[in-house]
Amino acid sequence: MMPISKKRIGIVCPYGWDTPGGVQSHVGDLAQYLISAGHNVSVLAPALSDENLPDYVVSAGRPIAIPYNGAVARVLFGPIAFARVRQWISQGNFDVLHLHEPAIPSISLLACWAADGPMVGTFHAAAKRQKVSFAVVPFLEPVIEKLTARIAVSEAARETLKEHLETDAIVVPNGIYADRYRDGVLEPRWSGNTLGFIGRFQEPRKGLSILLDALPRVVSAFPDIQVFVAGPGNPDEALEVIEPNLRDRIHFLGRISEKEKANFLTSVGLYIAPNTGGESFGIILAEALASGASVIASDIPAFDSLLGHGKYGTTFTSEDSKDLSAKIVDLLSHPDERLKKAKLGKEYAQSFDWDVVAEKIFDVYEMAMAGGRKVTLASENRSWNKFLGRE
Amino acid sequence: MSSLLILILIVAFFAWYLSYSATRLDRLHHRVETSWANLDSLLQRRAAIAIEIARSEISDPAASLLLTFAAHQAREASIKDRSQAESGLSGALGILLEGADEISGAHEKALVLELQELNSKIKMAIAIHVDAVNRTTMVRAKPIIRLFRLAGNAPEPVVYEFEDDVL
Repeated sequence: MMPISKKRIGIVCPYGWDTPGGVQSHVGDLAQYLISAGHNVSVLAPALSDENLPDYVVSAGRPIAIPYNGAVARVLFGPIAFARVRQWISQGNFDVLHLHEPAIPSISLLACWAADGPMVGTFHAAAKRQKVSFAVVPFLEPVIEKLTARIAVSEAARETLKEHLETDAIVVPNGIYADRYRDGVLEPRWSGNTLGFIGRFQEPRKGLSILLDALPRVVSAFPDIQVFVAGPGNPDEALEVIEPNLRDRIHFLGRISEKEKANFLTSVGLYIAPNTGGESFGIILAEALASGASVIASDIPAFDSLLGHGKYGTTFTSEDSKDLSAKIVDLLSHPDERLKKAKLGKEYAQSFDWDVVAEKIFDVYEMAMAGGRKVTLASENRSWNKFLGRE
Repeated sequence: MSSLLILILIVAFFAWYLSYSATRLDRLHHRVETSWANLDSLLQRRAAIAIEIARSEISDPAASLLLTFAAHQAREASIKDRSQAESGLSGALGILLEGADEISGAHEKALVLELQELNSKIKMAIAIHVDAVNRTTMVRAKPIIRLFRLAGNAPEPVVYEFEDDVL
């Protein structure tokens, strides 16, 4: 456990709290871990409604859906949001601020601009260099350089940061509750020559169609192959595009519980993650590895770095169903090799446990707090507040 | 008339920009101070542990002598010579830790464990400090900041060249 020196920690989440997503659940888990370690934590996040928010979350207002970086992001900015952010900072009396995705146009960036003092930023996104980043860097740089320390969730995210903003970061991965997955039970109904898939399968970037395209070639090598798809969505619509003779091999399980998820990942012959992009970290792969699953994933940067460039799981050329089917057949034909890799992956996945990850994040907090000062509003914002009579 | 107005606007904007740049640089200097304070305290703790290890049963007389010498040198070095002195200490500790698996005795084990934890923190602290220094040097090098001496009397930040692989 952490040394008991209670701190006031303010965390800012840039994306709408009510929409499920990797950053949101990371922030939620981290906040809960820090609270259970005795710290005083407040999370500022956009939210559609104030109801059903955990008591450590403060709403900054309703998020706006805008297309950003190839996906729809639910973010928040504007003068009213900025006033809320300033108010939250000046009332919070925080020892340290932890800003997630401060390079995204949302409240993390606003908080970084408004505050002064110990600040830690976590960068999740791993994106290819875009032309537009040349234009935005001059605006971002002076703000981002206020961060006392930077964290990247993967080597890929660190490279992105180095390339775009010319600044280095410490790599601390996203956390999972590894013990939940370590003790998954093998269920016969899902085991054998089976392929598992988890996610909102109707979203094209989750890549279910790539797996289904690969299926016919797998069937000819392994006639008994079965596919299990877990996650919310309409199975009938998804089934329409599938060849009729394949339909009875594909089983939709709908949304599954955390416990079922652990058992599911432990049981399936191969876990397939054919995502085509938009993944910042790939927490599901960490969970799959922790359950001891054999993993085949597309070679997008986040997945490739999480799987140790093929050491703990197999990658295939993204969006290439032919390559995917070849990799599936190869792994199913070599069970010894597959199990060896999975065993290695299971050990490795323990390093994603919250006990390890949160300690590391707190180490970074301590380094940021070394100066001994608290988080305050930046001088230019203080005088602005005075001018408007808010102080 | 209107050209006078434009001139006033330009001067006002320029004044604002100078003050903005000065604030920005001041913040960066502060960041360097913080990251150095943090790194310094971690290194001091490491030197203290090194001396304790030198007195324990892990090290033979030769290693004890080397460790104590390196630790004292690291403690007394000025900022500029610091990284070299600390690298010397890293080297001495590295040799000792190579056989860390065979160390017996609860006290010694605890010492080694503490040292290992400290080493990973020092790595992080170095990364943070190096980044702060790089940023500051970059901004200080801007022509406008040099021309108007916006850095004031703040000393040039010292680059800390630490041999990462020794740790």
